[in-house]
Amino acid sequence: MKLELGNFFVKDIVFGAETAYKDGVLTINKEEALEVVREDEHITEADLVIVKPGDMVRIVPVKEAIEPRYRVGGGPVFPGVTGDLMQTGNGRTLALKNMSVLAVGKHWGGFQDGLIDMGGEGAKYTYFSQLMNVCLVADTDELKEQREQQKKNHALRWGGMRLAEYLGKTVAEQSPDEVETYELAPVTKRTADEEKLPKVVMVLQPQSQMEESGYNDLVYGWDSNRMLPTFMHPNEVLDGCIISGSFMPCSSKWATYDFQNYPMIKRLYQEHGKTVNFLGVIMSNLNVALEQKERAALFVASMAKNLGADAAIVAEEGYGNPDADYTLCLVALENEGIKTVGLSNECTGRDGASQPLVSMDEKADAMVSTGNVSEMIELPPMPVVIGELEALARDGMSGGWDNDAILGSSVREDGSIIMENNAMFCGDQVVGWSTKTMVEY
Amino acid sequence: MKKAILYLNQFFGQVGGEDMADHTPEIREGLVGPAMELDKQLGDDIQVTHTIICGDNFMGSRQEEAIDMIKGFLKDKEVDFFFAGPAFRAGRYGAACGHAGRAAQKMFPEAVVITSMDEENPGVEMFRKDMFIFKGGASAAAMRNDLKAMAQFAQKLAKGEEITTAKDEGYFGRGKRKQFFLNPPVPATERVIDMLLKKLNGEPFETELPVPVTDLVPVAPPVAPEKLSEATIAIVTSGGIVPVGNPDRIQSASATKWGKYDVSGMDDLKAGEYQTIHAGFDPMAANADPDVIVPLDAMRQYEKEGKIKEMYKYFYSTVGTGTTQKEAARMGAEIAAELKEAGVDGVLLVAT
Amino acid sequence: MLMANLIPVATSVGVNKMVPTISIPYPLGDPSTPLDEQYKLRYHRVGVALDALTADISEPTLFKTKI
Repeated sequence: MKLELGNFFVKDIVFGAETAYKDGVLTINKEEALEVVREDEHITEADLVIVKPGDMVRIVPVKEAIEPRYRVGGGPVFPGVTGDLMQTGNGRTLALKNMSVLAVGKHWGGFQDGLIDMGGEGAKYTYFSQLMNVCLVADTDELKEQREQQKKNHALRWGGMRLAEYLGKTVAEQSPDEVETYELAPVTKRTADEEKLPKVVMVLQPQSQMEESGYNDLVYGWDSNRMLPTFMHPNEVLDGCIISGSFMPCSSKWATYDFQNYPMIKRLYQEHGKTVNFLGVIMSNLNVALEQKERAALFVASMAKNLGADAAIVAEEGYGNPDADYTLCLVALENEGIKTVGLSNECTGRDGASQPLVSMDEKADAMVSTGNVSEMIELPPMPVVIGELEALARDGMSGGWDNDAILGSSVREDGSIIMENNAMFCGDQVVGWSTKTMVEY
Repeated sequence: MKKAILYLNQFFGQVGGEDMADHTPEIREGLVGPAMELDKQLGDDIQVTHTIICGDNFMGSRQEEAIDMIKGFLKDKEVDFFFAGPAFRAGRYGAACGHAGRAAQKMFPEAVVITSMDEENPGVEMFRKDMFIFKGGASAAAMRNDLKAMAQFAQKLAKGEEITTAKDEGYFGRGKRKQFFLNPPVPATERVIDMLLKKLNGEPFETELPVPVTDLVPVAPPVAPEKLSEATIAIVTSGGIVPVGNPDRIQSASATKWGKYDVSGMDDLKAGEYQTIHAGFDPMAANADPDVIVPLDAMRQYEKEGKIKEMYKYFYSTVGTGTTQKEAARMGAEIAAELKEAGVDGVLLVAT
Repeated sequence: MLMANLIPVATSVGVNKMVPTISIPYPLGDPSTPLDEQYKLRYHRVGVALDALTADISEPTLFKTKI
């Protein structure tokens, strides 16, 4: 498969009369854009706000981030989700870089939602503070889940994807600033030089722990809870075959933007042909019963072994009981003699003294750690809040609380906040951006 | 000026050698032996005011008495820093420094306790989680260096400087793992590739998450099989089952609270009356039938059949997602104390 | 006596007596099965757990279930 990602480096985003992209400036006709969002009648109120790196702005509750794209030759950016099924990862897709579309609740947050500070000391905790973001701030009539801690956030997430496709279309007829090419031959048809190198697979464990549909990451529109591990081409992931879900505490989450830009996959591409022979991706999942966890690990190990893998990288989207899936998978691969490196975050508690993963095994001897979900973070007030700050305390966001006996509420009267890293939007950047590690004190 | 006290054994306290190892604990105003060097190294910010001297065997064989005496010495003192040793590779001395340091920490929670030992000193594993134990030399030849390391660290704290990692500071890790922004900022992708290539090439590599050794818990004595029919059995769960409305406001994640709920006269837990407030899993099934987590119906049946005497009238509940081990251990101990008090013979813990 | 689905987690924290349950969200009754089957499973596994309380063991033990 050969994928060309045609990149347009966005230098500025402004509102204007006509939605268009010209000379690095993305102009958005707000009303027209909002009409696209309102195609779903469940959206009751919607607005767009543009934020840029360094802005003294706090955004909460953030539900999703998406990179605006356009599929050359036609077809949806997210097959099986925003349009008909088709294979991704082949051909050319255009992308607006340096920016994302953020889906933000106008009022209501939930367990899975996060917070972004665009400037100040809180900016370092999320990747998305480095991007220009078009915030879709909306409310919905999904009253059934409005007061529920667990939200599917369907209207907002799908609204965000439609908006990203709408903005992506602006570059349809233009030639990109840069073309990144990702090409891997079928595993049995690699060159002799590639064959000499150690073979590596990348195992992804996207979040799939809700048994009810609507919460999990979707692979080609299919609920990843209802699948067994399968072999995929890395280009499929980079080209929209998978979208993020709406369940995990937010710092552990992988946004759709993260999948579209998956840094660990891109990094393996850089090594391909030099130090390793990158075989591809084993798309696994995360489960809620031990037998399911064991079965998934068994499938992954068998697939890796029969592909002839010498080494593997396993990345987990979550923490807590999914650590059992993670450790089982690392151990199953090591048991096959496949040299494996794990990539995930930890939960050592506010005091740092808890066992880092709920399930550990000494065979998992090589792990890269990207953060502590329960690290306490205190941040000063921000002059501007997009969304509703109170959501952090009121709505059961995973890193917030409303009535801690000692700490009080996560949201103080002056607008300053105290929270766990858990609520930082995709904060642990397990996909590979994280410059955080874990150290012992 | 901050105040410090130094703990020494009989040898370094200049009382005598092995023949004086039973020396009764004493406190002296001012500086004895290594206290002089320590005080000098500490500079102008911290002053060593007293030296405590205790025989290693006294601490070893009459520990409680020794600790009580030391607590007595400290009662009316100002203690910002409590130093002990350095103990080098001396096992008894290392343990004594640890015990004395731990006692001082209990009395002065804000004080900083600092000691130094060689890595083979058994005191390291015994006390590394309780205090700063610097990586010291094997013998007294390292005295100056070890004192210097302890003093420099104390100065840093006295000045309010932030401490970096255990490894960089030079003390044995205290089992507290925290996130740390790398400087220069090396992304996880680079660290993974580096580790992977080293592992593939058979070169040494360092995991960022060393797997800790499992804590083993002693096995509780069994209920005698013939006594099961006379036993009261309690149910405790981390699955967050509570009466609808969550009267005790137990947190849905990172819980610090538990609740107990009287189920006398009920044959099962009804949907709409009980629910789960656990945020870490899909609550649908447990809300539809809370017995899937608190199996009251099955327990009632076993009561009727006479397999057990009764289910204890309360079930206990908390939430086990994001909950720290420390909080979990505290809640467990509190619940266990109540159950023991109530004469409960056995407990079924149902986890989710 | 611990009734849990994630046995690797239980062994990793040093639990001594364990009876497996069927999943995390519904340890003792699969909602996709009829109520009487859920009850049968729950009754059986609770029974195994009660018997396990009487077992004299010297090391961490996983007690087997039939349903």
